[in-house]
Amino acid sequence: MNTPALLEGLRFIDTFFPSGGYAFSSGLEAAIQGGAVRNSDQLARYVGDLLRGGMSRREAFAVKWANQAGADGNVSLADEVDRELDATKLSRESRMASRQMGRQVIRMAADQLRTKTVLGEYRDAIESERTPGHLAVCFGLTLGVSGWEPEATVAAFLYQTAVGFVSAAMRLSPIGQHEGQRMLSEWLPLIERISREVEVDTAMSSWSPIQDIYAMRHGRLEWRLFRS
Amino acid sequence: MPIRERQQKRTPRKTGTSSQGKPSGNRKPSPKKKSPGRFATELVGRVGELRLDYAKPDRRTIISHSYFTTPWKLLPPIYLDDTGTAYTLLVNPSGGLVGGDRLSIDMNLNRDAHVLISSPSANRVYRTEGKISEQHINITVGSGAILEWLPEHTIPFAGSRFRQILHATLAPGATLLLWDAVASGRIAREERWAFTDLENEIRITTASGSSLLERYVLDPASDLGCVGLADEWNYVASFYVVNDAVAPEVWSRLESKIAPILDERPGHVLGGVSTPTVPGVAVKLLTQTAPDLIDMLDALWATIREELWNLPPVSLRKY
Repeated sequence: MNTPALLEGLRFIDTFFPSGGYAFSSGLEAAIQGGAVRNSDQLARYVGDLLRGGMSRREAFAVKWANQAGADGNVSLADEVDRELDATKLSRESRMASRQMGRQVIRMAADQLRTKTVLGEYRDAIESERTPGHLAVCFGLTLGVSGWEPEATVAAFLYQTAVGFVSAAMRLSPIGQHEGQRMLSEWLPLIERISREVEVDTAMSSWSPIQDIYAMRHGRLEWRLFRS
Repeated sequence: MPIRERQQKRTPRKTGTSSQGKPSGNRKPSPKKKSPGRFATELVGRVGELRLDYAKPDRRTIISHSYFTTPWKLLPPIYLDDTGTAYTLLVNPSGGLVGGDRLSIDMNLNRDAHVLISSPSANRVYRTEGKISEQHINITVGSGAILEWLPEHTIPFAGSRFRQILHATLAPGATLLLWDAVASGRIAREERWAFTDLENEIRITTASGSSLLERYVLDPASDLGCVGLADEWNYVASFYVVNDAVAPEVWSRLESKIAPILDERPGHVLGGVSTPTVPGVAVKLLTQTAPDLIDMLDALWATIREELWNLPPVSLRKY
């Protein structure tokens, strides 16, 4: 990857990017209130399990697929995986969170990378509700257009997701920055492995029943800091 | 198309009898016809097909056409109440699936039919040294028709390999209640999550073309396919209710009624309910014991029937 491509993509990964991700916990808040996550070890296991079983063959799959769509300039490929991802997201809050963040990414990308017409086409499809516009797809499409390789794009997406969990956990529980960095460090080999091993010539699938259930339960919490 | 799983070709040979009418569809000759007798010993009871068409010519829903091959058996429908709902048991008296078995169910509900499906006992999947056991289910639900699909759970034995693919297509105004549950194994033998692999796919497609999809592929020996945190539980189940003609406030109300049911047994049941991308509700739950699982099914089912149709629960007369 050349340096301009690296820098172009980094903007969308940086926590400074206004995707609105700080407002969502992907069910972690419900898991903490429900007692499933009480300390950093449990958090490390909870998130590692989600990355491995829940996201490796679903979101990571979609990112890799959309990266290819972006590199090829093929909107219909992105739309196809977007709809499939939408069908698998049973939790209303998580589904809407993913779509809202995806919309933010594609709006910014289409506005600033105007020569990449595929981004504008996809933004228009989302705005007119012809396609869902999930974060994984918009992210993969944008970095694919920017010249990022599929593996690096998946790794960046999963890393961004992991950072989001640590950030949410630090606001929800007595977990400090050092523990957060330790967890991120522990997840890096897993993220690298998923990025390398996820295959797009199979079917999208996902297994994270506990995390899925907590994501469903979040909407009924009596008090909440997060929107999902 | 990589995103969606490719459909496998249907096995053309039929081996059993027809209870009513002739089987339909074009048949291609099997290459194994050249060796008489070999087919019978290899495939009888292994490739079972069940086709059921339901219609509602008057008050009652009836089976208008049926066809089955071993190991499937078909009993006449039972009418448990005065709604005319045809209660049909999926009967496989062979004792379960072994490697290489491929069972299929093709079910069609014509307009306004009301069908209740269950099975007499759990779906047992035996250990195999290689070949996978498969169950393919294709369902179409006509306009105004109702299908309550409530089979007993699947028990994948240690060393088993199982793939279930269930596709349901709903016409405008059709209703589907779909329950699907899997045990970790033969729990009394302390055989938990010890199968070789397990694949489950449920896709419900509405008339608009939008879908609800649950698909998981478990391969406990691998890193990305491991059972993970769920291995502390013994049963995992999903309950989906879909109808594109029901008002959104009905789903909200149903969600509000289901949520407290899922909270009744903390530590024994963990469940969540939400509205999926198609009009309806989706419930996912984990339980520690089979009685908890059955009680949850009964409570959820009763709540859904009351909310949607103001109908009381019916006893399936199995226990």
